[in-house]
Amino acid sequence: MINELENILPSVKNDHQKASLQNAIAIGVPSMKHEEWKYTYYNKILQQGFSPAFVVDQQPSVEKEFIDEYAVSENRIVFVNGVFHNELSQFNSHPKINFWNSNNISEISTKDFLLELNNALATDGVFLEIGNNVVSEELIEIFYIHTNSSAIVNLRNKIKVGKNAQVKLAEYYINYDANPAYSNIVTEIEIAQDAIVELDKIQDAGNLFNITDNTFVKQDRNSVVTVNTFSLTGGITRNVLQFDINGEHATANMNGLYLLQSEEHVDNRTLVNHNVANCESHELYKGILGGKSTGVFNGKIIVKQPAQKTNAFQSNRNLLLSNDANIYTKPQLEIFADDVKCSHGATSSQIEDSELFYLQARGIGKEVARGLLVYAFAAEMVERVKNEKLRNKLQSRIAELLKIEL
Amino acid sequence: MTMLKINNLHASIDGKEILKGFTLTVNAGEVHAIMGPNGTGKSTLAAVLTGKDGYEVTQGSVEFDGKNLLELEPEERAQQGVFLAFQYPVEIPGVSNANFLKAAVNEIRKSKGLDNIAPNEFLKLMREKMELVEMSKDFISRSVNQGFSGGEKKRNEIFQMAMLDPKLAILDETDSGLDIDALRIVANGVNKLRTKDNAFMVITHYQRLLDYIIPDFVHVMYNGQIVKSGDKSLALELEEKGYDWVKELDMV
Ligand SMILES: Nc1ncnc2c1ncn2[C@@H]1O[C@H](COP(=O)(O)OP(=O)(O)O)[C@@H](O)[C@H]1O
Ligand SMILES: [Mg+2]
Repeated sequence: MINELENILPSVKNDHQKASLQNAIAIGVPSMKHEEWKYTYYNKILQQGFSPAFVVDQQPSVEKEFIDEYAVSENRIVFVNGVFHNELSQFNSHPKINFWNSNNISEISTKDFLLELNNALATDGVFLEIGNNVVSEELIEIFYIHTNSSAIVNLRNKIKVGKNAQVKLAEYYINYDANPAYSNIVTEIEIAQDAIVELDKIQDAGNLFNITDNTFVKQDRNSVVTVNTFSLTGGITRNVLQFDINGEHATANMNGLYLLQSEEHVDNRTLVNHNVANCESHELYKGILGGKSTGVFNGKIIVKQPAQKTNAFQSNRNLLLSNDANIYTKPQLEIFADDVKCSHGATSSQIEDSELFYLQARGIGKEVARGLLVYAFAAEMVERVKNEKLRNKLQSRIAELLKIEL
Repeated sequence: MTMLKINNLHASIDGKEILKGFTLTVNAGEVHAIMGPNGTGKSTLAAVLTGKDGYEVTQGSVEFDGKNLLELEPEERAQQGVFLAFQYPVEIPGVSNANFLKAAVNEIRKSKGLDNIAPNEFLKLMREKMELVEMSKDFISRSVNQGFSGGEKKRNEIFQMAMLDPKLAILDETDSGLDIDALRIVANGVNKLRTKDNAFMVITHYQRLLDYIIPDFVHVMYNGQIVKSGDKSLALELEEKGYDWVKELDMV
């Protein structure tokens, strides 16, 4: 991998990109020796034959009807193999919502391999700007479609939400032809005061699809931001989600559901920086782990010294369905202010025999009964999706994965 | 026609024998009341009949419609028409009453080789049976038993019974903790469901319920077996003389 990066280096013209690439080379590929990668074997993704590419594969034809099956709204921004796809994208024109594709990325200075890789090699991305006071009822959907690409697809998104605006976004990954795929995405989100934003991340592209996602949210005062991450199928999935709460009376909600039934590996790392006083963060990640799957949860809340009157709650709850599944969970709290309300905790449980028997005693076979109980565990997270169509879709998808009928 | 034949049933839990030679035959169309002091094994009997894990049958047999009931899985017993109204119904957060009962109805239909019930037919059935036990409308979408009062939980058991239309219904202290109105609703539900083809085993601690559900037989259970059987007047006698009388009966 490092060799390949060195080979690309001469062809990179832009100075920033060149510097990032050099940083990536210097940092090196993540290894399990690093504390942040203790439970996730990054090389396992690369071993599937992905290489960094500066030039992307040609875009094969994907039919519009194909997207129709996934989409629940009329606003779609579609990328195929890392490149914006004009014909598949559509947007109800709105004078105060602008978007364009752009690889004119802002630099995130960091000592992180994946971020530097993305800095250097991002081919495209959405730049979405929601104007002040815009209330968008319609969901804005972003699709990342992969078709037979052995390249690491690097996308860089930037989303700016104006004052007092309200918007809901959803992103989906799709594996068009069921070859191994790998997406390394970075999204920066800036939320102005009084805005209300929901971002739903739907990761359900089958077990050949690998994702490393870095999402950074900066929010200003009185804003309410919710990020819901659903990891339903996938190979190796690593989600880094960071909130910087920079204005008072803001609320950050972070919800996650990972539903792992075979050999999936999902690693969620969250960080909330409470930088100012009088804010709230609420975090609930729920995991269902069956088969030989692995879940990793690392949640960190930092309450800085000025952040008095902070309410920060974090919880990670896991339902273990098999002896061969593993969960590594580490909630962390660092508090430097004295007048705060914070709690964190992690639990692991199994299906309750008494609940199982109750369902069986009503004629429901053991497998379906288990499915219903697992569904019940998951349902709470789906409820947090505000868009009804997407919520229904997620409900039926989860039921389908659990082999139950609702 | 004989529906249930329990013969000399011995069962233990954690190595402790609870049922010590329980024998009872129930015919279609009959209502049997089983009364007895706390800790005598009434709920254990219900658990063994419905196939709950953890109980070991060491002796005796149970036939239901001529088949060996004890070798069936809990869901198979339910599919064959055995129903238990639990003494302590379980709360299942996240599973709505509608989804729960639809799954139950469809699984039972599937076991009989029938297709899933049509959604509108299911809703109609729900409404009809909800009326029977005076359930409020929001009940459909609420999670099974979650946040229900004691009385609501018991009514829900009867409602489920009405939905599933079992051959043999075992009611385990469905009356305990009910106020008089709830008791009347529950009893009324049972009475409306009584036919010549089904049967009820009504486990109760008090005579009170039997003013509303008139039993054909009353059995007094003590120390894991039936110590006396009679008609409904036995319940009154028991009420009058108290459970100490039963203990004396057991000594004889
Ligand atoms: N898990 C258990 N382990 C040991 N003893 C038990 C267990 N569950 C119930 N018992 C005992 O079995 C006896 C019968 O209980 P139960 O069937 O609930 O009685 P009833 O319903 O008549 O009040 C009681 O003495 C009770 O303590
Ligand atoms: Mg009992």
